Amino acid sequence: MKLRIVNLGVAFPAPSGPVQALRGVSFETRDREFLCIAGPSGCGKTTLLRVAAGLQKPSEGRVERIPSAADRNGQILLVSQERSLFPWMTALDNAAFGLEMQGVPRRERRERARRLLARLGFEGREEAWPHELSLGMKQRVAVARCFLSDPAVMLMDEPFAALDCLRRMELQQELLRLWDESHKTVLFVTHDIEEAILLGDRVLVLGGSPSHILTEFRVPFDRPRSSALTFTSEFLDLKRSIAAALGMPMLKEITAG
Amino acid sequence: MRVTFRLRNAIVAWWLPASILGAWEGAAWLRLLNPLFFPAPSAILAAGWNMARSGEWMTELLSTLQRMFQGAGLGVCAGFALGLLMGVSAPLRTSFEPAVSVLNSTPKLALMPLLLLIVGVGETARLVPIFLTGFVTLSMQTLDAVRGVDYAYVEMARNYGARSRDLMWRVYLPACSPQVFTGLRLAAGRALVITISVELLGAPDGLGRVIWMAWQTLATEKLYIGIFTTSLLGLAFHQGLAYLERLAAPWAAAKARGQTG
Repeated sequence: MKLRIVNLGVAFPAPSGPVQALRGVSFETRDREFLCIAGPSGCGKTTLLRVAAGLQKPSEGRVERIPSAADRNGQILLVSQERSLFPWMTALDNAAFGLEMQGVPRRERRERARRLLARLGFEGREEAWPHELSLGMKQRVAVARCFLSDPAVMLMDEPFAALDCLRRMELQQELLRLWDESHKTVLFVTHDIEEAILLGDRVLVLGGSPSHILTEFRVPFDRPRSSALTFTSEFLDLKRSIAAALGMPMLKEITAG
Repeated sequence: MRVTFRLRNAIVAWWLPASILGAWEGAAWLRLLNPLFFPAPSAILAAGWNMARSGEWMTELLSTLQRMFQGAGLGVCAGFALGLLMGVSAPLRTSFEPAVSVLNSTPKLALMPLLLLIVGVGETARLVPIFLTGFVTLSMQTLDAVRGVDYAYVEMARNYGARSRDLMWRVYLPACSPQVFTGLRLAAGRALVITISVELLGAPDGLGRVIWMAWQTLATEKLYIGIFTTSLLGLAFHQGLAYLERLAAPWAAAKARGQTG
């Protein structure tokens, strides 16, 4: 499935009149593309994903869903940064929840969830409650649940933002491995430029006030990609350009010098 | 290590009641207490043993239990249903919440004379206050629990294609269950008090009647048996419901254990 976002605007009511979070946001995901949107905190990234997921109505514009033959269903699933698991289900039942809603029999869905969790290093902890898991483990379960449902589009709202640097690199690698097998359409928002380049086929820069798409970068690196890529000079050049597009002044000086 | 830990726990739990009982028994033997008001615990125990052997104790206990289950059992079921409905429907909440609040602050026993006028002397007049106690407590707690469900979980379930039935069974009910059990514990305690009270006001059987008759005949030991049995019954309800809660909401129990060390 492709998502076409057309002239999207979202305003929130506030005591001193509506606050315009997004205005004139237009872009299109390609089919089976990993598209990243980078922007500073509070620029409306979460709002954009909620609208794309159909959880929130835009005040202007629209989201078009263009199905493709590869879709197994019309689902557009959101993986969020926090409260991403139901506290009353074990890790395994959380991971299998999407399959449960699709009507997959209990035995089969638990077996499939168990296999995927095992690949993510979960042996022996499938029956743990979410509050017993570290944040990294929780986000693994959330990602596993999303992949198991095999949706047409995955929306990821900074799923690794709260992790420390090493855990984040681990989870990025695992996400890349899973994605390389399926090549689903992914819309991934993050404030982390490095993450956006490492994961994405393209990076859109969101910013301004109200926020809109400032510019677009194509990421030229071959897949599969590993964290080693982040130390190459091509990677750093791209990172510098995106940082400049985000309006980080000191980085402009470095580029100039 | 484990044994000493258990021993320490047992001491912490039992030293206070054991000291009180020991001091009481000693004072009774030394004739420091008037046996008409404070008979020795051993004398109370002997009276209790006699009541148990004659079957009187069990008969009265079962009468109280039956009365409480009939009244409060129906009450908590109805209260739970209304609480859920009020929680998910704003019109229902607006219609019923004020009435439930008013009922909550009405002393249920004060309704007894009115009930006796309306339905006459009989079991119905006794059951209504017990019913109302269970009903009001559960409907208020359930409403509060449903309104407290984090909407992020509802959205997440919907995003995965949950229909209303799935939302009820996989989100609302489990999310509410810890607080509903708190409501059940409150309701059990309050309903027991009301049950004993309506029996004190006049009933053909039950622990409340035992207490009242013991006072009328100055059989103080029996009076204490009535009171102690009631207290232990309250404790049993509390523990039983705590056990059921661990079965019904194991995640919340695991979380609570983790927090207390």
